[in-house]
Amino acid sequence: MPPAAGDPFGRRSVHAGPIGRRSLLKAMLAAGAAPALADLLAACGSSEPPAGAAGSAAPKIPSPTNPVRWPLSTKSPAIKSGLKPKPGSTLRVYNYADYLGPQVIKAFEKKYDVTVNVSTFNDEDEALTKIASGGLNLDLYFPSYDSIGKLVGADLVRPLNHDYIPNIEHVWPQFHDPWYDQGWRYTVPYTVYTTGIGWRADMIKDDIGAMSNPYDAFWDPKYAGNLAVLDDWHTLMSMVLLRNGITDINSTKKSDISLMHDQLMKMLRTTHPKVTITMYNDLPAGQYGLAQMWSGDVVNAQYYLPKGTSPDVLRYWFPEDGHGEVDNDLMVVLAQGSNPVAAHLFINYLLDPTVAAKNFGYIGYQPPQNSINPDELVADGYLPKNLKSATVLPHYFDVGYRLLQLPPSADQAWHQVWQEFKAGA
Amino acid sequence: MPDASARTGRRLWPLLALPGTVWLLVLFVAPLYVVLAVLFGGVDPILRQPVPVWNPVRWDFSQFRYVLEHIVGPDGFFGPALVRTTVYVVVASAVCLLVAYPVAYYTARFAGRYRGLLLTLLIAPFWISYMMRMLAWVNLLQNDGLVNRVISLGGLLPAAHVNWLNGQPVTVVLGLVYGYVPYMVLPLFAGLDRIPGAVQEAARDLGAGRFETFRRVTWPMSRQAVVVSLLVTTLPMLGDYYTNDMLSASPQTSMVGNLINNSVLTPGQTGQAGAFVMLVLLVSVLPMLLYVRASRTGVEVES
Repeated sequence: MPPAAGDPFGRRSVHAGPIGRRSLLKAMLAAGAAPALADLLAACGSSEPPAGAAGSAAPKIPSPTNPVRWPLSTKSPAIKSGLKPKPGSTLRVYNYADYLGPQVIKAFEKKYDVTVNVSTFNDEDEALTKIASGGLNLDLYFPSYDSIGKLVGADLVRPLNHDYIPNIEHVWPQFHDPWYDQGWRYTVPYTVYTTGIGWRADMIKDDIGAMSNPYDAFWDPKYAGNLAVLDDWHTLMSMVLLRNGITDINSTKKSDISLMHDQLMKMLRTTHPKVTITMYNDLPAGQYGLAQMWSGDVVNAQYYLPKGTSPDVLRYWFPEDGHGEVDNDLMVVLAQGSNPVAAHLFINYLLDPTVAAKNFGYIGYQPPQNSINPDELVADGYLPKNLKSATVLPHYFDVGYRLLQLPPSADQAWHQVWQEFKAGA
Repeated sequence: MPDASARTGRRLWPLLALPGTVWLLVLFVAPLYVVLAVLFGGVDPILRQPVPVWNPVRWDFSQFRYVLEHIVGPDGFFGPALVRTTVYVVVASAVCLLVAYPVAYYTARFAGRYRGLLLTLLIAPFWISYMMRMLAWVNLLQNDGLVNRVISLGGLLPAAHVNWLNGQPVTVVLGLVYGYVPYMVLPLFAGLDRIPGAVQEAARDLGAGRFETFRRVTWPMSRQAVVVSLLVTTLPMLGDYYTNDMLSASPQTSMVGNLINNSVLTPGQTGQAGAFVMLVLLVSVLPMLLYVRASRTGVEVES
C-alpha cells in the first residue's frame, strides 16, 4: 500500500504547528542579522519589512522535543505521480566522496536507462554554498538534518511524492514521521552513525574504552602527537561538552561555550591533535594511533590497512548505553534539478533492502534498514568481531544526543571558538 | 631615417602592449573589487552566504574591524598565525635561496654541454601537479614510511622514529621549500646567465680571489635576479594553505592561507577571508613598490 504523499502513515502530529516561510525568514532576520543587513536587504529591493518589525517569534529549530512539519514549497511543487524519467537522461547526484557504492550506481543506470553523474563535496558548508549558487542543476543531495531548516528556508528543496518511494516502509520505525521532518515531506533517511573513538591496539597500549572517561584521552600528554580529531566544528566541540558530562550538545549557554574554548585550547597545547576527516585512511596508514571517529569510517578503515596488518588491531568505542552522539544522514531532492523523477526512483532504489545491503558493504555506513539486523552484523560479515562496537542500534536514537541547528547568535559564538581553535592561537 | 622608425616604435609598441595591459588590469582590478565588495558586504540571513555590496557608500566595515581587532591584544587569536606565517615564509625562502643559488650558478656557468639537460630537469617538477608532489611526501613521511625506515636504520633504532606529519613546523617549512624551489631556480638562472663571463675574468685578472670576485662582482650583479626570485616564491607561499593541510593538518602550524581558506568555507565569515587577502596584499605589495623605486633610482644614478 503506497502511503499518501506528505503524510505516509496518516498520523496526525500533536506537536507540529505549521510554520510559514515568511515568518521563518523574518524570525531569522530578527534573531541574527545586524541592522546593516536589514538595510542591505532593503537596498536589494527585498519586500521583507525591516528586521525590527518581525516581532518576537523565535526561529523554529527542529529537535526531538520540538518536531517540525516544514511548509510545502509553492515555488517548486512535488512532481506528479506515475511519471518515467526520459530515457538517456542524466541524474546529477551531490554527495561526499566514497559515500555511494559504484556497483549500485551502475545497476541503477542499467535498470532505468539514465546516466548518474556524481559530484562530491568535503563538508556541508561547502555544499550549501555551491547549491545556493544554483547553476549546477543538481538533482539529489545528501544532507544531515541540521541543514534542512536552511534548505527549506531558502527554498532549495522539492517536496517528495511518496508514490515513488514505497520502499520507505523498510526503514527503522524510529525514523517514521521523524521530528526533523514530520510527514517525511522532504527527506528520507540514508545512513546512521555514531561518533566515538577509534584506535589501534598495536599503537596504543591502553584500552581506551575501559577508561573511566575515554574522552580524556584527547587531553592526555601520553598520546601527544599521536592523535587526531574531527575537522567538524559541531562534532568536535560537542565532544568537549560530553567529556564534562554536559549532555546538551547544542548548548547556547555562555559558560558552556567558554568551557569549550578553554578545553579546546588546552587540547591544542597538550596533545597537538591533527584536525582532519580522513581518519579512515590515516589510522590504517599508521599516521596516528588514536582518533575521534565516525563509526562508518572505522568500518571502512579495515579496507585501507596496508598488507600484512590485520584488521584485528582496529578498535572503536562508543558508550554502550547509547549516551553518545548519534546522527543520521538524509536524501533530499533539490529544486534546481532537471530530473526529479529519476531522483525519486534513485531514492527508492537505495531503500531497497538488497541494494541497501550492497551499498553498506561498500561505504561502511549502516543504513537504518529493518532487514539488516544490527545484532548480526558480525555474523553476517559486515563487521569484524573487534569492531562490533561500531554497530548502530535503533535504541541509540531514543537515548543518544543529536547535533541540531543552532540559533544564529549561538552559531556565531560556536564558530568564533572554532575559528580561534583552527588558527592555532 | 632613425627618426621615422623611432616615431613608428613610439606608436607601435604601446599599441601592441595594450591588449596585455587591459587583460592584466581586468584580471587584477576586477577580482580585487569583488573581494572588496564581499569584505565590506553583507551576509544573507538563512544560509549566511556573502552578499557583495557594489556601492562603496554602503560598505560595512565590521568584518574588517573584527579581523584587525583580533590580531594583537588579549583577543588576538589571529596574531600567532600571522607571526608563524612570517617566520615560516622567511625561513623557507632563505633555504630556497641557499639551495637554488648554487644550482642556478652551476647550470649557468659550468654545466657545459649538459646545460640543456640540466635545465630540462629543473623544469621537470612543473610537469607533476603540486598536489601529487605533496601526496608523495605524505607517503614518504608517514610513520612506517621510507624516511623513518632510513633514519631508524630499518627498524633497529625505533626511538629515531619521528611523527613527521603530526603538526611539525619543520615538515611544513621543508614542504614549502620543496614545493617552491623550482620556481626560484629559473629566474636565478636567467639572471646569472646574463652576467658576462668577461667581467668575472677581469676581476680575477685584477687580483680578486674567488670569494672576492663573487662578493664584489657576481653577487651584486645577480642581486636583481635574487630579489625577483624571492618575490616569485614568497608571494605564493604567503597564500599557501595546501602544503600545511597535507603535511600537518594541525592548527598549531596554521598559516594565513589556512585562515583565508577556513573563513571562505565558514558561512558568515567569508568577508574575513577578504580582510586577510587585503592584509597579505598590503604586506607583499609594499616591499615590491619600495624595491621598484629603489632600483629605478639606482639606474638613474648609474646613467
